[in-house]
Amino acid sequence: MPALLFPLGLAALLAVVVPLVIHLMRRDELRPLVFAALRWLDPRPKPRQRIRFSEWPLLWVRLLLIAMLALLLARPVLTAPLSDKPYVAVVPGADPKAAQQAVGEDAEAHWLTAGFPRLSDTPGAVGEVSSRLRQLDAQLPQGVKLTVVVPQTLQGVDAERPILSRTVDWRIVARAMPAAKSVATKLPVLSLRYAPDRAADVRWFRAVSAAWQTPFEAAGADAALPPKDRVLVWLGSGNVPPAVRARVKSGGTVLVGAQTVLPASPQRRVVWRDATGAPLMEAQGEGRGEWLRLTRPLRPAVFPELLEPTFPDQLAAVLSPPPSPARVEARDLIPVVGRSIFTRPSEELTPWLALLVAALFLIERLLATAARRRAAP
Amino acid sequence: MVYDPIPPEVRHRLKGLRLFARRASGASGIGLHASRSRGAGLEFAQYRAYEPGDELRQIDWKLYARSDKFFVRESERESPLRVWIVLDLSASMGQSDAAKPGWSRLEAARAMAACVGELALRQGDAFGLITLSDRGVAVVEAAAGLKARDRLRLELFKLKPEGGFPSLAQLSPVWCRIRAQDMVMVFSDGFDEGCAELMTRLSAAGRDVLMVQTLTAEERDFPFQGGYRFDDPEGGAEVLGDGKALRADFLKRFAAARQAFEARLFAAGVRHTHYWLDEPVDAPLWRLFGQKPSGKETV
Repeated sequence: MPALLFPLGLAALLAVVVPLVIHLMRRDELRPLVFAALRWLDPRPKPRQRIRFSEWPLLWVRLLLIAMLALLLARPVLTAPLSDKPYVAVVPGADPKAAQQAVGEDAEAHWLTAGFPRLSDTPGAVGEVSSRLRQLDAQLPQGVKLTVVVPQTLQGVDAERPILSRTVDWRIVARAMPAAKSVATKLPVLSLRYAPDRAADVRWFRAVSAAWQTPFEAAGADAALPPKDRVLVWLGSGNVPPAVRARVKSGGTVLVGAQTVLPASPQRRVVWRDATGAPLMEAQGEGRGEWLRLTRPLRPAVFPELLEPTFPDQLAAVLSPPPSPARVEARDLIPVVGRSIFTRPSEELTPWLALLVAALFLIERLLATAARRRAAP
Repeated sequence: MVYDPIPPEVRHRLKGLRLFARRASGASGIGLHASRSRGAGLEFAQYRAYEPGDELRQIDWKLYARSDKFFVRESERESPLRVWIVLDLSASMGQSDAAKPGWSRLEAARAMAACVGELALRQGDAFGLITLSDRGVAVVEAAAGLKARDRLRLELFKLKPEGGFPSLAQLSPVWCRIRAQDMVMVFSDGFDEGCAELMTRLSAAGRDVLMVQTLTAEERDFPFQGGYRFDDPEGGAEVLGDGKALRADFLKRFAAARQAFEARLFAAGVRHTHYWLDEPVDAPLWRLFGQKPSGKETV
């Protein structure tokens, strides 16, 4: 459906007066002509004629050009046509028969998966229920009734009740979504490479490793780098050596101390903060791997968290984050109303209109100069 | 580069044309034109060696006395016809059609005058040029031959339309030069009263006057659309008007004026025709001199 994002731009249509006036004025322009047989011309001045425009095709093109420019200012958009029929979404895992019974036989139901296929089709990839629910809410026109049929247990949700723009008819039917496979969290294995002046810091990581009960290995900065599956801890000053950088680019994770300078990157972010919100560790990606950098020297005076008993667990959470919980009882995920209505996605017509304006301008120039060529003696 | 006002295709068609004087045609069977001086040898042409059979009285005895050889003195038989090309040089002759901007009345008159000169040259007739303007009446003496043709071309090349038509007093050289029985070809638009007056008087005085009225195609069709300011090139007067509104009235009045003008020339015994600027240059000459109009391109 066509719509205007800035209807006030149509005020530019007032400019159509300009070509009208131009074409009216040009009528009065008399072309001089040498004419010897003057004495047989009727010298009476011609009677004043009605309002007449000269060069109709040119005038039309100019009017059209201005109208298109005004339309361009008004920013027309084309939105997909939408129906106001009630919408039924079924979360995979719900018993289809029970779902159909719950919403009625004739209602048109869709799976709440990517692309929202019809209930008679295969549901497609399962997961991200909350995300799909928000997407559906954003895509549906305002005022359309939404019914969601969910199984008793949902999988793939995030830790918030969806806040939608409408009240949702939340029907819970039997069955549950299949649970995701449980993944054993593997604690990282640390390998230290340290410069001689940083040898004092090694003990902290040895302690952490002991707490994790994982193997630990430490060597001088000159030693060969450990295998890829280990987390390299680089304790040195200044820039990192090229070998370490290459390891990150090829997909490794490297933790560096506060004295190390990382290559500048716009993607740097804080991944660990202390209780007051001050950053403790920042991360930045490079290539396929990731840099982690402690922002403070490893001294309890400036880094009190070192002495906390939770330090090994917090470091493990940063190095290998545990999966977030994604399974919930359906009755605990009833969406709440509150979010403002999204602006629906629409196709901008501006580029096409600009092309049209350019073509019209070209035609106008052609017509105008052709007229001048013709009038030239 | 030689200035030649005659277009090539026209030059080709000129071969079928012949100038003839009205008073001469049919009056005498000898020669191209009526001739009063039949005797040969008025105008010296060349010497050539004596050949047996030549008349003795043709031998130049004085030359024989000097060179001890017999030479025959040959002379040209002079044509009695003298053609005067009279060109109107008033500013109105500078007018041309919008469709063909370079081709003014004067350009056309120039080309036609050159054609007439070419025809006269071929027939051995003498031809001269008289240009009429209120800045002065210029006369190129009538003569025959290639030299006269070149002189004619040179004079034609220099012409520029300006001013008005000369007064009767200024026209006295015309009367001095054009003798009785001479042929006068006038190229003019005929818009000036003085021009018609001159032709009438010349014809009444026994000159063989022909006239080609050069008119633009715009005067025939009046194809103007929209507002125009019509300027008179000679008077400075102007008429403002819409082409469409003026058309019907102008065409009626102009046709009537042309008819009256032609009737006047006819009554005065002036052979006349017209030339529209979109015609081939030789068309009026064919209308005047073409003997078999049906077979030729006479337009």
